Amino acid sequence: MDTNTIDYAQERSGYYKILVGLLILTAVTFVQPHMFMTESTFLAQMIIAVIKGWLIIMFYMHLKGETLIIWMTGFSLFIVFTFFAIVIGVDVQQFQYLDESHITATITPMADAANAASSTNSAH
Amino acid sequence: MSGPYVPEIAIDREGNEHVVQGWQDDFYGGKLGFWLFMFTEVLMFGAMFMALAYYNTLHPQDFLDASASLNRLLGGINTVVLLVSALTMGLGLLNMRVGKIKEAKLMIWATIILAAAFLVIKGFEWRAEYNHGIFLMHDQLLPGSSLPFGQKLFFGLYFTMTGLHGFHIIIGIGLMIWLLKRINAEKVRPDHHILHWNIALYWDIVHLIWVFVFPYYYMIGAGGATGGH
Repeated sequence: MDTNTIDYAQERSGYYKILVGLLILTAVTFVQPHMFMTESTFLAQMIIAVIKGWLIIMFYMHLKGETLIIWMTGFSLFIVFTFFAIVIGVDVQQFQYLDESHITATITPMADAANAASSTNSAH
Repeated sequence: MSGPYVPEIAIDREGNEHVVQGWQDDFYGGKLGFWLFMFTEVLMFGAMFMALAYYNTLHPQDFLDASASLNRLLGGINTVVLLVSALTMGLGLLNMRVGKIKEAKLMIWATIILAAAFLVIKGFEWRAEYNHGIFLMHDQLLPGSSLPFGQKLFFGLYFTMTGLHGFHIIIGIGLMIWLLKRINAEKVRPDHHILHWNIALYWDIVHLIWVFVFPYYYMIGAGGATGGH
């Protein structure tokens, strides 16, 4: 970014436009669970977050036009998401250690109540 | 750190002097190096998000119930506070680049105030949660409590991640105060503003992390009993 080629008014106006965009998306974040994609709140929220993140990275972090850094960012995100896919998509789906795991305690008051109800029903 | 830069001189076999290349004004190199640092931040928080998604997959309903109990109003106000602070930081950098030093400093002060406001609001939120028995190693989060196990995991990660994020905010305030000192000492100037640029980048990554922390913790349970899962 060359400091000799700054259009102050244009850049300032750009900052405010992105602010408005981010504020609108924040408002959408709040109304989404009651208005649209109500059956996929998590997905909708993450899509909105990705759009907000893209605006911040491209305009507030001045990544627009920075080819090398864009590739580096893309590569690092690819690595992170690959590990996400491996850990979440493969490992959790084939979890084999339910009995001895400390992160999968299934005995909760709700589970106890459900078990008690089912045993009562089976007794009848 | 102080005094004018004096280049190193190398002398060849014929006795001729040559100035050794210095990298003090390597703007692009400085920026690239900071992006590499930010990748380590992404990896650190990425690992935490991975743990969050992992436990979420194992305990979906507990996560929705725990998320629904968080204070979305305070979380939302903090989201807007950080959003505006990213603007003031950006405008400060823009002012510095065009030589408006006074305006640049004002914008940095505005960012510091907004950052402090974020911490105060977060403090109120944590205090309310503490009073409800929800805090690390306290009451409801102790192993023997009746709180469902998935909710304990959710709140454990919530306090860890928002705490680490808050720590980044504190570091950011420190960096901005240091930046103001460097500007006053004319070590950061319109023709030499890489420090300002990189601190603005730091503030943006802190904002960016919150952009994902907020919906994952506060909003996934906003859709009612199932939350869309």
